[in-house]
Amino acid sequence: MIDALHFEFMRNALIAGCFASLICGVIGSFVVVNRLVFLAGGIAHAAFGGIGLAFFLGIPYLLGTLGVSLMAAMIMTAVVLNNKDRADTFIGILWAIGMATGIILLDMTPGYNVNLMSYLFGSILAVPGSDLWWMLGLSVFTLFSTGFFYRDLLAISYDDEFARLRGVPVNLIYFLFIGLVAVSIVIIIRVVGLILVIALLTIPPYIAEKYSNSLAQMMGLSTLLAVLFNFSGLWVAYTYNLTSGATIILMAAAAFFISMIFDALFLKKPPTLISNEQNN
Amino acid sequence: MKDPIIQVNHLSFSYNGSPVLSDVSLTVMEKEFVAFIGPNGGGKTTLIKLLLGLLKPDQGTIKIMGQSPAKIAHRFGYVPQDVSFNKSFPISVMDVVLMGRLPFHRWTRLSRNDRIAAQKALESLEMLEFQNRKINDLSGGQRERVFIARALATDPDILFLDEPTANIDSQGRTDLYALLKELNKTKTIFVVSHDTMVLSSYITSVACVNKDVHYHNDAEITKEMLDMGYHCPVELIAHGIPHRILKTHEGNND
Repeated sequence: MIDALHFEFMRNALIAGCFASLICGVIGSFVVVNRLVFLAGGIAHAAFGGIGLAFFLGIPYLLGTLGVSLMAAMIMTAVVLNNKDRADTFIGILWAIGMATGIILLDMTPGYNVNLMSYLFGSILAVPGSDLWWMLGLSVFTLFSTGFFYRDLLAISYDDEFARLRGVPVNLIYFLFIGLVAVSIVIIIRVVGLILVIALLTIPPYIAEKYSNSLAQMMGLSTLLAVLFNFSGLWVAYTYNLTSGATIILMAAAAFFISMIFDALFLKKPPTLISNEQNN
Repeated sequence: MKDPIIQVNHLSFSYNGSPVLSDVSLTVMEKEFVAFIGPNGGGKTTLIKLLLGLLKPDQGTIKIMGQSPAKIAHRFGYVPQDVSFNKSFPISVMDVVLMGRLPFHRWTRLSRNDRIAAQKALESLEMLEFQNRKINDLSGGQRERVFIARALATDPDILFLDEPTANIDSQGRTDLYALLKELNKTKTIFVVSHDTMVLSSYITSVACVNKDVHYHNDAEITKEMLDMGYHCPVELIAHGIPHRILKTHEGNND
């Protein structure tokens, strides 16, 4: 593995993995505690429509994909804020429309055959240097927004009704952070692919949640876990000549099941029924 | 001397087309201690959420201290009915109570005053020793106290408590009502509760909520009033010392 670092593509892959881990750790924790995993999946698949649009119109990838996924994210957020109970159905529909539109637009694009696999599983080993700058910018912006709004974010995520009463601009912050989810997904899809984005957004925060005492700790621990999955996945991919996106996901999945077994064996939690609980 | 703090005029609210509250008018004076009683589904929680401004009335108006609820919401303290949501959320007791001190100035760390206020609120509910514990490690009754502490940390003018004693044992209930009685010297308090026996010696007025609202300023329900059709599931309610025990209302066996 050490000698692999002589290759620029390998160094770029590791740096990209770190940025993706940081963004996914922070934004993914927000997604998981707010139960927005399905919404994040919806945005990621709607973004596929944007990929198709970008190729069809011959505009830059980022422009088409960002536009479409931000629009989808805003519509989904509006639906979630207005009708929480039925939001999942609506997101499922947008999800499917995004995918279908993407495929048809690519069909209609003359003379150009895009390798769709690279958008599903990414190509972290082929990350160009320019993408690293995008990721650096997004990482800084994500950390900045999260730090700036941390207490509001905590209140909204835990109890949005109470946050509203205290005068926290709940809708504004919701739109901002789901917008951030959309931007993160678009930038990271290019690096690790659509499926890995969802895996990195959900698996590390889900594992981290149980061992954290605060949202900030959860974000930090998820980032570390994501870095671990990225590096170990890359090592396996490099050693055995496998698709890196898939090996990273399987590393995360293995950790997920190990943590579940670990919890079952060692973390003796009281049953979750609360109706019969006593004081003290 | 007292001024009206809440004025509700011809308020109606329906949920998915079925009316929950219709043509409710209510005037509550400052520093009252009001008990909302009534059957399940009678609209008690809905009325509280309307007063808080979390729901918008279909018809009618709500004025609190002369303002719309949304404008004055920062002066409310609120204890929600359900305190067992978000069971896996990693958050400490202290951080939950600190929500009562929102909004904070950006970037700045929490001020000393915010922490002191939160600790004082926890102390008044005998929960200070748990301040660094994760809230999900606490029992239902302990969580309930933390949420009451959060409401107190806002230092509100009006306190709304939606079934605050649902998970609390009888000693805890008596302690809580004694604390509320003390707070009532400076604050107006609304409490939804089925503890009509315990409540009766603390409250100053009763509102029976069952699609409409009947407000009794003297906190005393007589058999005649029940006969007039208030339909409250109340067997006895009395006010003042010594406690007066009223006869069980006929035909009210549930």
